[in-house]
Amino acid sequence: METSFAITGKGYVIIAADTTAARSIVKMKVDEDKIKTLSPHLLMAYSGEPGDTVQFAEYVERNIRLYQIRNLYPLRPSAAASWIRRSLAESLRSRKPYSVNLLLGGYDTATHTPHLYWVDYLGTMTEVPFGAHGYGSYFALSLLDRYHDPEASMEQGLATLKRCIDEVSKRLVVSPGTYKVKVVDKDGVREVEL
Amino acid sequence: MPATISISQPQQRQFNPYSENGGTILAIAGADFSVIAGDTRQSEGYSIQTRYAPKVFQLTDKAVLAVNGFAADGNMFVKKVRQRLEWYRHAHAKDMPLRAIARLIQTMLYARRFFPFYVYNILGGIEEDGTGAVYSFDPVGSYEREACRAAGAAQSLVQPFLDNQIYFKNQTAAPGTSHPVHLPLSTVLSLVIDSFTSATERHIEVGDGLEMYVVLAKGSTAFQTLGGVRGIQELTATEDGEKVFIIRRELKKD
Amino acid sequence: MNSFAERFSTTTAASQMRNAQKLADEDELDTAMWGSNAGFGSLAKGVPTFTVPAVADPTAFLRLHTDDHADPSCRIKIQHGTTTLAFRFQGGVIVAVDSRATAGSYVASGTVKKVIEINPYLLGTMAGGAADCQYWETYLGMHCRLHELRNRERISVSAASKYLSNLVYSYKGMGLSMGTMICGWDKTGPAVFYVDSDGTRLKGDLFSVGSGSTFAYGVLDQGYRWDLTDEEAQELGRRSIYAAGHRDAFSGNSCNLYHVKEDGWRFIGNYDIAKMHYDGPGNVAGSPGQGYGYDVRVEGRTSTNAPAVAAAA
Repeated sequence: METSFAITGKGYVIIAADTTAARSIVKMKVDEDKIKTLSPHLLMAYSGEPGDTVQFAEYVERNIRLYQIRNLYPLRPSAAASWIRRSLAESLRSRKPYSVNLLLGGYDTATHTPHLYWVDYLGTMTEVPFGAHGYGSYFALSLLDRYHDPEASMEQGLATLKRCIDEVSKRLVVSPGTYKVKVVDKDGVREVEL
Repeated sequence: MPATISISQPQQRQFNPYSENGGTILAIAGADFSVIAGDTRQSEGYSIQTRYAPKVFQLTDKAVLAVNGFAADGNMFVKKVRQRLEWYRHAHAKDMPLRAIARLIQTMLYARRFFPFYVYNILGGIEEDGTGAVYSFDPVGSYEREACRAAGAAQSLVQPFLDNQIYFKNQTAAPGTSHPVHLPLSTVLSLVIDSFTSATERHIEVGDGLEMYVVLAKGSTAFQTLGGVRGIQELTATEDGEKVFIIRRELKKD
Repeated sequence: MNSFAERFSTTTAASQMRNAQKLADEDELDTAMWGSNAGFGSLAKGVPTFTVPAVADPTAFLRLHTDDHADPSCRIKIQHGTTTLAFRFQGGVIVAVDSRATAGSYVASGTVKKVIEINPYLLGTMAGGAADCQYWETYLGMHCRLHELRNRERISVSAASKYLSNLVYSYKGMGLSMGTMICGWDKTGPAVFYVDSDGTRLKGDLFSVGSGSTFAYGVLDQGYRWDLTDEEAQELGRRSIYAAGHRDAFSGNSCNLYHVKEDGWRFIGNYDIAKMHYDGPGNVAGSPGQGYGYDVRVEGRTSTNAPAVAAAA
């Protein structure tokens, strides 16, 4: 089962998503990147219905890029999140809706504040200090209630994320093997090794 | 020709020995008394079958049982409990203690675990130590001693009111004061009447009549307050022990 | 020879059957009918008997009329939704449970005792059918006492849990629903066994059962070590039930905490979950001295990372 986590910390957002692409009982691929870089300071982890996920992510990616080309500056995280949510909400009311769940992490360079948005396929959006999708959320959310710190350094943040991943590996029957972890902060987006 | 067809047709039969007869029951324990009440309306769907079908029954001088759910099962169950209590009296020459009746009811309900009595029971009365007690049961016999409990059609209307007025949930005591642990009998009786008049207003299956049983511990001081109660009737069978009274009130009949 | 031994021995299966038959013949009236033996009078004749509906498939009948998770519209509600946990550590066994009972979305009770005190050194937890757990664990308690009387020795946690496991297994498919942890201290030290109505019986260090168990595990696993002190262990049990009460809608109200040591179990306390959120568990051993709630804990802390120059300007 697909699982993704995201946590904010002092001046950054960390997003982690598992890397398995499964079909029926078969793992088709074990190193799939399910986190897209939408703009220099914006990351999006996506999960849900196979096919819909990548289609929707690429649609979002191109539109965010188009905005940047037209206006010479990118959307701030809250504006991007609003646009993406609205896209999902309109899709939901169409003949064939996208079934995609998202975690949107961005760094607002104007206010030096990291933002994280939890969005589901119904267009429900909420800004959170930490969030998760999939079965992993049943284990991670209580853990993050206990250990998350908004002022945690990057090392502390990664340690907390490691706790989530370890817990899910320990308890979830169909736990994913590997995760891709990306970070967005004032310096932009980069991938980190756990 | 049609006859042969109807025979070859598959027939479906369903065994459904249950119904739901509405109404609400309620019990509150005080320091040395217990009040057990129920309305007297019996209905099925939107039809009122009778305006007087008691749901509260005196078992002994220290125990009163209220039953709610499927009336036929409820009446049968009370009959069986009374039979067991009579046997106990013959064997031991005394009434069964309240906590023992509670355990008896558990085992009797659980004996029907695979063919349940569709009945929610509330047992009220006086313990051997003289304290007021209420035991509530689910249909298959899980039970717990509590201070107050409402069950039946309007339980979701009455219970929150009781939580607020008896347990003082979501209330803050004025500075320098604290909430009382046990309420006096007069207050409890008013709360019970208010619960049922309000439930009658907002629930279609509640109304017609109200029966309140009051069980007093030996030498209970609450006895005085009962003197002024209109239409009270004593039901006590034995001397020098607990006392049982019944108070009847009309509820709206629409 | 064989028949001779059978006739005069008092321990063979045949002679026990003969004795039981003789007992049954002697008094036609079952003593249990006289309201004595705490209603467990049928015990003398073996396992209790149950009334079963006269239909082709009694189990289907029961399923039709009692509430299952899948069908909340059914009339006879059986309690569901719970968080219970128990773990073994250097200082004994910690048992912690919530106290909420739900019927659909209605909170039927907020004061349920989900720890069943089987006897002074054995505890059982309650998840699934409240009546199933209460009744069979009480019944187990009686058999543990009989074991003591027969063998002049306390029953081991392993044997007690196996007795329960075999018992519920004999009812498999009949609709019993229980997920319980049998906890105690015996010759082997602290012990925890998980027993459920499927017939599963597992020995282990740490278990959590119920709809809120995943949330409890999240906190429990991360804070668990064998060499926890008594105070740390009690705090971990409390904190884990709080986590489940906070995240699982079917769990909540309050936490009941027990600690089993060599000399039997001890009730540590009852803690209101809303109170733990804002104020913490109060003045108790291991308390952090503040509320467990996320927003309480991180109050005034911010992720904004304004550079020093910007802040100065």
